[in-house]
Amino acid sequence: MKGKPEVIKVLNEVLTTELTSINQYFLHARMYKNWGFEALNEKCYKKSIKDMKQADEIITRILFLEGLPNLQMLGKINIGEDPVEMLKCDAGFQTKQIPQMKDAIALCESHLDFVTRDLLTSILEYEEDHYDWLDTQAYQIEHLGIQNYLQSQVEED
Amino acid sequence: MQGNKNVIGGLNTLLGYELAAMDQYFVHSQMYLDWGLNKLYERINHEFDDEKGHATKLIERMLFLGGKPDMQTRVGYKVGITVPDMLQSDLRVEYEVADKLRTVIAMCETEKDYVTRDMLMILLDDTEMDHAHWLEQQLGLIEMLGLSNYMQSQM
Repeated sequence: MKGKPEVIKVLNEVLTTELTSINQYFLHARMYKNWGFEALNEKCYKKSIKDMKQADEIITRILFLEGLPNLQMLGKINIGEDPVEMLKCDAGFQTKQIPQMKDAIALCESHLDFVTRDLLTSILEYEEDHYDWLDTQAYQIEHLGIQNYLQSQVEED
Repeated sequence: MQGNKNVIGGLNTLLGYELAAMDQYFVHSQMYLDWGLNKLYERINHEFDDEKGHATKLIERMLFLGGKPDMQTRVGYKVGITVPDMLQSDLRVEYEVADKLRTVIAMCETEKDYVTRDMLMILLDDTEMDHAHWLEQQLGLIEMLGLSNYMQSQM
């Protein structure tokens, strides 16, 4: 089914963000793992895999709309050097992705592509949840102190 | 089967390190138990078993090659006093064992004793990936969590 070029273009932009996200979260996960922070590793690894599934859905949708999914592009990956920095880099990533998703949803609405809109909304919901999780971590670090916080991340939940 | 003298000599050197590591883990594990650091006890007791397994492999191979295992020598044995001390000393032993293993593996290659070489590769993999890396992680955690928190999570 032929899709609107504007919708296909915005789907490709969202795809670039997802591909970037996969890499950032995957590397962060394995850095946590190397230090022995199993709980943080688990959370970031799952986020990375979820991003890959979302990328899959976007690619499938672009192909369905007879567009060309662009897998060449990759945005800037922000890697922290310690857990606090890493969580900050991830929060920074989410704060850019969420408005991008909202704009993409509004664009789908204006082009009456309600199915794509629905797909993007389900992704937005997940990204907001993850941002909330990052917020929670920042709160805990502030109130428990970094050493106590990290202590509770050593073992899997 | 009569083995090469150099290879048997190399295996005996390695045995000296493995026996030292074994003894050191043995006493460290009991110290952790005495202090109520049960998780450290479990882990180090498991390392003790691992090192005994390594020593067994070396002894088996030497006997097979017609050599005489030297059970008296201990190389690099040093018991720590505090938790970080003990972990640091264990890590030093692992680094030394890994170094020696690499030398003997290279020597087996030049002496064409490929079966001994293969067996030592398993020991090297354990030493690097399992033992040394775990110890590095613990020392890193002590740095990041603080010693009190680290010890609390090892009870």
